[in-house]
Amino acid sequence: MSMSVDHKPLLTHEVGSLDKPGWRVKAYGGQPLTEKDFEEARSWGERLTVPEYEKLLDLLHHAPFGKEQKAEIQRWSSLYALRLEESAGLDVVYDGEQQRTEMYDWAVSHTNGFERRGGVRAFDNKYYSKAAVVGPISLRSPFHNAEFSYLVSVADAELKIPVTGAYTIADWSFDERYDVDTDLREPATDRRRKRKAARRDFVLEVARNLIRPNLEALITLGARWIQVDEPGASTEADELDLFVDSFNASVEGLNATFSTHLCFSDYNLFFPAIERMSQCRQYAVGFANYDSRELGTSDDARPGYQVIKKFRDLPYKPALGLGVLDIHSDFIESPELVRDRVLYAVKVFGDPKRIHVTPDCGLRTRSWKVAYEKLRNMTAGVDLARKELGL
Amino acid sequence: MRAFAADLAAFVQVQKNAGLDVFSDGLLKWQDIFRPLVEGLGAKPHTLVRWFDTNTFFREPELSGTLPRLEHPDGVVPDASVPRPRVTTLPSPYMFSRAARTDQNRNRLMVALAEQVLRPAIDAAVAAGSQMIHLEDPWLGYVGIAEEDWAPLREALAVLNRDLDATLAFHVYFGDAGPHIDQLLRLPVEAIGIDLIETDVNALGSRWDKGLVAGVINGRSSILESVDNTVEVARHLADRVRPRNLYLTSNCELGYLPTVVAEKKVLRLGEAARKLKELARV
Repeated sequence: MSMSVDHKPLLTHEVGSLDKPGWRVKAYGGQPLTEKDFEEARSWGERLTVPEYEKLLDLLHHAPFGKEQKAEIQRWSSLYALRLEESAGLDVVYDGEQQRTEMYDWAVSHTNGFERRGGVRAFDNKYYSKAAVVGPISLRSPFHNAEFSYLVSVADAELKIPVTGAYTIADWSFDERYDVDTDLREPATDRRRKRKAARRDFVLEVARNLIRPNLEALITLGARWIQVDEPGASTEADELDLFVDSFNASVEGLNATFSTHLCFSDYNLFFPAIERMSQCRQYAVGFANYDSRELGTSDDARPGYQVIKKFRDLPYKPALGLGVLDIHSDFIESPELVRDRVLYAVKVFGDPKRIHVTPDCGLRTRSWKVAYEKLRNMTAGVDLARKELGL
Repeated sequence: MRAFAADLAAFVQVQKNAGLDVFSDGLLKWQDIFRPLVEGLGAKPHTLVRWFDTNTFFREPELSGTLPRLEHPDGVVPDASVPRPRVTTLPSPYMFSRAARTDQNRNRLMVALAEQVLRPAIDAAVAAGSQMIHLEDPWLGYVGIAEEDWAPLREALAVLNRDLDATLAFHVYFGDAGPHIDQLLRLPVEAIGIDLIETDVNALGSRWDKGLVAGVINGRSSILESVDNTVEVARHLADRVRPRNLYLTSNCELGYLPTVVAEKKVLRLGEAARKLKELARV
């Protein structure tokens, strides 16, 4: 199955997460809602023409919420996020992961073999909850089925499901099962060799016993495009082959289109390892974070995009999900800036069907207002590029 | 601020309970190892960049043009509630110069950072009661160092150590320090820190004329070290390396661990040190 054949040129989509609205977070956490929360639910419902959003407003006024009401509020949050993306004009959408706690924690909390250890800093004052593998890994229950089934029932646009990848889950976990040797009197080379072997066992067990069965469950439900998120993929430069092996072990032989998302890395590290990742039909990669904000389509004008030539030259010719929105900044990229980033990529690739247009990463660190403006300008910029290219 | 005060008080208490000899503020207010210095310079924290092979990111310091002098080092001075003697942790000039975004020659930047930024920070810390200055250098451990960079590194460290009324330690981590031992021992500092998770204890040589800051607790693993094993390793180091002073510590910052795990490790470190001291008395 080849997406470059199935999809139109300069396809647009999101990458994963969106911020969770205050009303969703507070309702789920049992905190009192304020007028500001009700107004947020009302104004976005109206702006995005969410059908029957008044029912949500009514529901939000009936705290405290039971388990089923909380689940219903989460579904409303999914619907709002879906409509935000559809309203921004994206071709392929999801729900900004509104029903998940967080990309790592959600996966681990549905898995046997892990125990939570506590929060650690990711950047600035952002923390994530980290677990340790302590026993045999297995899928407790498919953990995206419920959200996917719901979204299928309400989405107008095509869906792409983001799923956290095996390498990232292992990399973001402590290992208390495979590598437990701590005797520093042993030669360091022996300790390193054992650690490497243990790491391989860990990552591949996550791929085979957790990710793959979860993907199979989604495919059974009708999922056609699954994005394997691997923000941790380039963390260890000497483990790129292991990352590739884990991707292949997760998806090999499964009947769906698979892509992967990479971000905030030195992307040069991925080559040549990902030449073996031929079942990956698209790489969604963040570049805007490294780019100039000046207009232009020359090499000099687009310093953040120089590495895309390497993705172009991959032998199995995947599409490139071109990150054009810096998700760490409230700066709103103009349609013209998006256009020039896209035109530059098309010039390098020589085939607009191999270029998809995306944010650098999930937009969860931005407010909905900023995320919406960024996404709208992204699709407007793609329209400008299409006109320029006569598409 | 209340949350910070509570966290700091808890961390100080853990260090007291562990019986540590030197106290740290845990850099609890620091968003990354450069941030208080960069903010003190009025410079711009830039793009998020991965911190070596961790899932932690720092903001690349933007240090183009002429480097101003650090006039406001308050951010690096430990809070008044931290008991004395204190240790202050700072980025080494080598790592700082390599991690920054700059249009300058990096070796010249390294010396300028020592003169203009790190020395004022160290002076402020010492004036506030720090008796140990701990320079972190994962860059050397993880990325390495070119032969021609050692001389400017020595020059930069000499700037930091000149007439300094505190112990200056240079700690290499996230990598094997074995290949660099000879050069490390020539650095103008009182103690060298080694990441013993990555470095073979037998690669350290013997008869050091400096202190050894022995990174024996793994700051990246949630597995708690055996106290007895840590004591054995420390004895081995004392017997074989014979450093001028032996400091037991973690191989890297404990910020990669959840607080509850880090606290348990600090307690184990203290227990190991206590046992070791008892053995030394016997």
